[in-house]
Amino acid sequence: MITAEGLTKRYGKRTAVDNVSFTASPGRITGFLGPNGAGKSTTLRMLCGLATPTAGSATVLGVPFRSLENPGLQVGVLLDAGAQHHGRTGHEMLALSAQLMGLPTQRVDEVLELVSLTPREGRGRIRGYSLGMRQRLGLAHALLGDPSVLILDEPANGLDPAGIRWMRALLTSFAGAGGTVLLSSHLLLEVEAMADDLVIIGEGRVLAQGSAAEMLASTSIEDLFFTTTAQHGREDVTS
Amino acid sequence: MTAIPFIRLSRVELRKQVDTRAGLWLLVAIAIISAGLGVLTLVVADASSVTWTALTESASIGQLLLLPLIGVMAATSEWSARTALTTFTLEPRRTRVNLAKLTSASLLGVMVMVVTLAVTAVLNLIGILARNTDGSWSLDWGILAGMVLALVLLVWQGVAFGLAFLSTPIAIVAYLALPTIWAVLTVSIEALRGPAEWLDINQTLLTLMAGTTTGDGWAKLTVSVLVWIGIPLAVGLWRTARREP
Repeated sequence: MITAEGLTKRYGKRTAVDNVSFTASPGRITGFLGPNGAGKSTTLRMLCGLATPTAGSATVLGVPFRSLENPGLQVGVLLDAGAQHHGRTGHEMLALSAQLMGLPTQRVDEVLELVSLTPREGRGRIRGYSLGMRQRLGLAHALLGDPSVLILDEPANGLDPAGIRWMRALLTSFAGAGGTVLLSSHLLLEVEAMADDLVIIGEGRVLAQGSAAEMLASTSIEDLFFTTTAQHGREDVTS
Repeated sequence: MTAIPFIRLSRVELRKQVDTRAGLWLLVAIAIISAGLGVLTLVVADASSVTWTALTESASIGQLLLLPLIGVMAATSEWSARTALTTFTLEPRRTRVNLAKLTSASLLGVMVMVVTLAVTAVLNLIGILARNTDGSWSLDWGILAGMVLALVLLVWQGVAFGLAFLSTPIAIVAYLALPTIWAVLTVSIEALRGPAEWLDINQTLLTLMAGTTTGDGWAKLTVSVLVWIGIPLAVGLWRTARREP
């Protein structure tokens, strides 16, 4: 369970997030949509206690993120797959976090296998990883502590079609087992295929939210997205 | 759920200081410089002056110079490599993480000193057998304790500067240059000489390492440590608590 209540973040005069409220419920995948610069990442950072809200509050599993004890065992977070020390190996990066959470090293091999990174790839330095491999490593890291909540920023970024299909199956079964998933994505059709609930934001504000079934009953996700955010694809501009 | 024990947090921070190439190569450089200086003393110094304590004194220069840089990187690499994102989602109590960095860097300093003592013991034995050196095994505990404390304080200064500047090159240059610039100023400007006794950490640490800190020497050490470690550390803890990874 994730709740945001009146989350607001101002940097100087610029308001990045403006009074955002929503709930991501257990057993459901909540898709968090919005154009670039809409405030998605800033909102997710506030949920994870990395940024301090100017106003409003957020809770994960009923408490502010910063109050969680050993949060890695409760919330899996992937905000930026590139934010890793490139001189460490993938295995070492996971092993550090496993040690911190109090998990056996064997768990590292399990999650590497889960995201289809071979033991050989795990022994390679992250510097040599492709974007897709870094994304898989980031997902492995999010799953390491066997959490009940996942917060993922653009998790499909850089994954190949097989990877995207694998991730969809993974998140669907995660939610099916009662887990809470909040994910942001620009892949609208992918979100449509997975999400139970939608939250659409633009210019820092929530523009629409509700169950995906109701919101998409009479429209496609692309039409919903573009009418809601009042943005138009390039084809629309030229036609 | 129970909180992450501080010991475990410190062990992970220690591992992070030595599991990268930069950390590993700094340790290798320390080993080479320290062993080299120990051997140099063994070979070149007057045989009557070569003792376990004397060998340890010269062999410790490598870590006194370079180990603080591991402290700097422990603080700055979180931001330069952007691992702060992971570190602070796994332990949101950021000041606790920084205290674990200080603890683990101190532990690394003590471990390096223990290894140094073992190596210089071997060198001392070689000296006795090969050069008929004085070879005294009695350790000057004043000097030894002074060196360990000085090393820990220098590593803390490294962490403190790293936290205050949050950039590896700026923090290293500041760590190396600022105390020296201050020392040069105090030599050239008459009016600064009085305060300099209290504010020159190079001087107070040299006295500490010589094992000759007494009476108001401790007060001077404390004041210089507060200025050169306490202030940057306070600034660094404050910046870390607020900065967005």
